[in-house]
Amino acid sequence: MTASATPCFATEGLTKRFPRVTALDDLTVAAGTGVTGLVGANGAGKSTLIKILLGLLPPTSGRASVLGYDTATQGLEIRRAVGYMPEHDCLPPDMSATEFVVHMAQMSGLPRTAARERAADTLRHVGLDEERYRPMGGYSTGMRQRVKLAQALVHDPKLVFLDEPTNGLDPQGRDEMLALIRRIGTEFGISVLVTSHLLGELERVCDHVIVIDGGRLLRSSAIREFTRAEQTIAVEVEEGRQRLAERLTAGGETVVTQGRLLTVQVAADDPGRTYDAVRDAVCDLGLSLLRLEQRRGRIEDVFKEPVA
Amino acid sequence: MTTEPTAVIHDIGYRHYDGVRLGRGRATLALGVQSLRGVFGLGRTARAKIMPLLLAAIMLMPTVVSIGVMALAKQFIMPYPNYAVFMQPVIAVFLAAQSPYLVAPDLRFRVLPLYLSRPLTVTDYVLAKLSALAVALFGLLAVPLTIQFVGELLVDLPGPPHTADYLGALGGAVLHAVLLSSVGIALASFTPRRGLGVAVVIAFYMFTAAVSGIFTGVLISSGRDDLAGWALLLNPFFLVDYAQSAMFGTAPVNTESAPPGIASCLILLAVIAVAVTGVLLRYRKAAS
Repeated sequence: MTASATPCFATEGLTKRFPRVTALDDLTVAAGTGVTGLVGANGAGKSTLIKILLGLLPPTSGRASVLGYDTATQGLEIRRAVGYMPEHDCLPPDMSATEFVVHMAQMSGLPRTAARERAADTLRHVGLDEERYRPMGGYSTGMRQRVKLAQALVHDPKLVFLDEPTNGLDPQGRDEMLALIRRIGTEFGISVLVTSHLLGELERVCDHVIVIDGGRLLRSSAIREFTRAEQTIAVEVEEGRQRLAERLTAGGETVVTQGRLLTVQVAADDPGRTYDAVRDAVCDLGLSLLRLEQRRGRIEDVFKEPVA
Repeated sequence: MTTEPTAVIHDIGYRHYDGVRLGRGRATLALGVQSLRGVFGLGRTARAKIMPLLLAAIMLMPTVVSIGVMALAKQFIMPYPNYAVFMQPVIAVFLAAQSPYLVAPDLRFRVLPLYLSRPLTVTDYVLAKLSALAVALFGLLAVPLTIQFVGELLVDLPGPPHTADYLGALGGAVLHAVLLSSVGIALASFTPRRGLGVAVVIAFYMFTAAVSGIFTGVLISSGRDDLAGWALLLNPFFLVDYAQSAMFGTAPVNTESAPPGIASCLILLAVIAVAVTGVLLRYRKAAS
């Protein structure tokens, strides 16, 4: 990921307390261009963070900026340059998708003719065809999510906030939505901040992942760092698992026994060495190899690791 | 016979928008215009057009009758300044039917956060909705008045035309539009349910009209005619009628013991201020 001069958004000691609950607790985090995932359980403070970044909710303390604009004083500039797809339903049932998206484009300051063109383009990009002329009351969840996405993109923002865009979608709809988000970040050239409580989802589309829990930052790093550090190979042999482990450990590899499996940490500096060592050890000891597979670390492991 | 299609659609990929981006003012105007069209059912389903167009047609009926009488009997029967008071039930039904349409769906279907995530502010939103309803109400009153005035000029009754009365009535139409729209939106915005909003607005009108009527009757029968005029002010239409009389010199409908003109003007202003403040506070709360 390339770090640009002005980050897409940055927060500094951001805290938001409501009368009964602390939604964000001293959060300091920044994200560059590309697709950034914001992961956290329900109630972790994701939606509150988005509202503060839109300049709609004043923080209790701390500061935040979006595209170089201060959220406390330049909310209008921010809202001119970003798009927002809320988590909740927000579509009037008696309007058609076309009418609605045209109207929302006008609300972002596009003249009527430009709004019509952009609405047609955007609806096509999110994959809504003839049904866009029908009242939205009869739409499926998948179609509704697409319209919500279209209204966030129609004014060609520099950055979009997508709050739980895969909510309520079936597996296929989920895949299509994720592919669309990936395209927005790469092909459309629009930076994305996408929230989810499902880690595995974001792993597939994000360049950078921010994990928050209880309003605190758990981890923020590029997706490659997440996975590279976790690169392991799983080895399963019929007998002599103990001997193999001893042999590899003696050879300087990091080996963990997990039930019937041996998990060998791949050397970050020289990955080939680890694979060679496993092959040679199995050969020399004359073991029957049942399984040898590469294991990509998953973001879920962040929660299993002790917090750095 | 079918031929091979010659046109092919190419996917030209995503195109960025680098055209003009208008300011907040134009977005507010666009919202206001869309809302105003919606009040009369334009751009909505056929069913949504029935009520406003029916009421608009009813508003024109006295005008048609009045012009007919002027043309045939050469008599002037309907003074312009009394028209709004005369038609108050129709105007009240229009207000009750249409003000919830303007605000309730945005609350119920949670469209409001989408507006507020754009350069539009809460004040812009409220301003657009209030203006749309005020312009609609003004049109509802001003169009029949104007048609009647044109009719009067064409029929050419003996004596000078009632130009001052007509202009005073137009001024009164502005007062009616501003007062009724702010009260209507204030009442309707407290519930996301459109049906309930309709009931609340019509109940408000019936309640104020009834209370005003009862108090006035009781005061007159107990010989306190001096206070009866104050009781009439409870009815928003009589309030505007007195204010219109004070501001534009028209004759009020209720001639008995009118309260001081300045008082009705001040009360009118106070009611508008309270209603608009209420709407703004309500939306500030909804926004956070």
